[in-house]
Amino acid sequence: MKAVVTGAARGLGEAIAARLASDGASVALIDISPDVTATAERIASAQTAGHVSGIVADVADEAACEAAIAQAASALGGIDALVNNAGIGGPDTRVVDTAFADFWQVLQVNLGSAFLGSRAAARLMIGQQSGGAIVNVGSIFGQQGVAGGAGYCASKGAVALLTHSLALELAPHRIRVNTIAPGNMATEMHWDELRSRAAASGTTLEHQMELVVASVPLRRHGTGADIAGAVTWLLSGDARYVTGQTIGVNGGVWLS
Amino acid sequence: MAGRRALVTGAGSGIGLATARRLRSEGAAVIGVDRRWPLIEPPISCLTADVTSREQVTSTVLRAAELLGGPADVLVNAAGVYRIRPLLDLTQDEWDETMAINLLGPFLVGRAVAAGLAEASLSGAIVNIGSTAALVADAAEPAAHYNASKAGVLALTRQMAVEWAQYGIRANAVCPGVIDTPMLRLMDDPVAGQAYLEAGVPLRRLGTADEVAAVIVFLASPDASYLTGVAVPVDGGSTAI
Repeated sequence: MKAVVTGAARGLGEAIAARLASDGASVALIDISPDVTATAERIASAQTAGHVSGIVADVADEAACEAAIAQAASALGGIDALVNNAGIGGPDTRVVDTAFADFWQVLQVNLGSAFLGSRAAARLMIGQQSGGAIVNVGSIFGQQGVAGGAGYCASKGAVALLTHSLALELAPHRIRVNTIAPGNMATEMHWDELRSRAAASGTTLEHQMELVVASVPLRRHGTGADIAGAVTWLLSGDARYVTGQTIGVNGGVWLS
Repeated sequence: MAGRRALVTGAGSGIGLATARRLRSEGAAVIGVDRRWPLIEPPISCLTADVTSREQVTSTVLRAAELLGGPADVLVNAAGVYRIRPLLDLTQDEWDETMAINLLGPFLVGRAVAAGLAEASLSGAIVNIGSTAALVADAAEPAAHYNASKAGVLALTRQMAVEWAQYGIRANAVCPGVIDTPMLRLMDDPVAGQAYLEAGVPLRRLGTADEVAAVIVFLASPDASYLTGVAVPVDGGSTAI
């Protein structure tokens, strides 16, 4: 497998890239943070099967994303798997208190990067005539809105429908496209949100963490390994009849 | 799946058989259950039972635990029936039989297996077989009783997930689309069937039982450790249209 993972310097992206590499794939990690180089070196030192490299690029910028995908394809000898994981949290303000620029930024990064990455990779995969698979990282907050999260929810909901349309357009080329929708994950992005909630309510981060865990039937936060397991499966031949879907990886939250 | 103890209902044919084989090839100990075994030499260890009988389910789950060396920690509820019948021609007996096999069965077997796991303080994974017919209606192959039973399976799955998460038991479902099994009626008319595949299935082909089994085994595996209560369509994209 020749895989590209965006937003791979840390967190879920790093966990996904590390799992793919340990399964024997060649992996190109892309991130806006220069830390991605060190992350790639760390992953490469832990396994020896495939090629692993880091590329510093802003995948929400059209020219930069095109160049980064081309560079990845050159380094890997083609691309047959893409994980659009790059994303940011949105403004945690009510719409009436939110600047348009802040709302627009989260859409541009979360939705724009998924569009640009998918378009660039799909063009390559169609040219290779070898099929392929794309996984977009949505969110449980793309399946249901929350007060104070309009930008993030809209961006992740849009990612799921972008996926849906892409799946229909790319099916004739044997390219599958699916969304994974993580729930409450043990990531810096989620802790930032909980710190913000704690500050707003005059409570502690630990208290906010307990509240979240209490709402999850499996009684824990999700981990990078949880997401990596599901993404690896969606990219694999074991999911070869699955396309256009949104798969929740959320410990059962919001079922009741 | 090495070290796992699996119970698969409806293992005599189709998706159940493919799942039992896949689980065994990945190292699990597997017991299959079916009402009747069509093969002269079953490819897996098997017990004969009717999943709509509480007595037979209770004794079969206990017997399976003896054979497996402990309570089954993987349950795949694959026993099911599919019959096409327009609503105006559908009899109550037909409705009751389909509901019993497709919905009561997973409840009875799931309850027995979960009780065994909870009593032994063991975690586990349950995979139920829904259908894309639980998500969308089908004018060409009217089967309201089947569709309603499978929609019930998805609700049952979510409830299992929420109620049994405290025991470390995950419960998920797959929703197969048109899969090439003995249950399939779509290709009885090959011309109409092919036309449906061209128009209604983005990947433009039937799915295979092995492809559904691969998703079921993933849902039962540690790679799906944070998935519970979900319904995964395995339909070549047909419900994405």
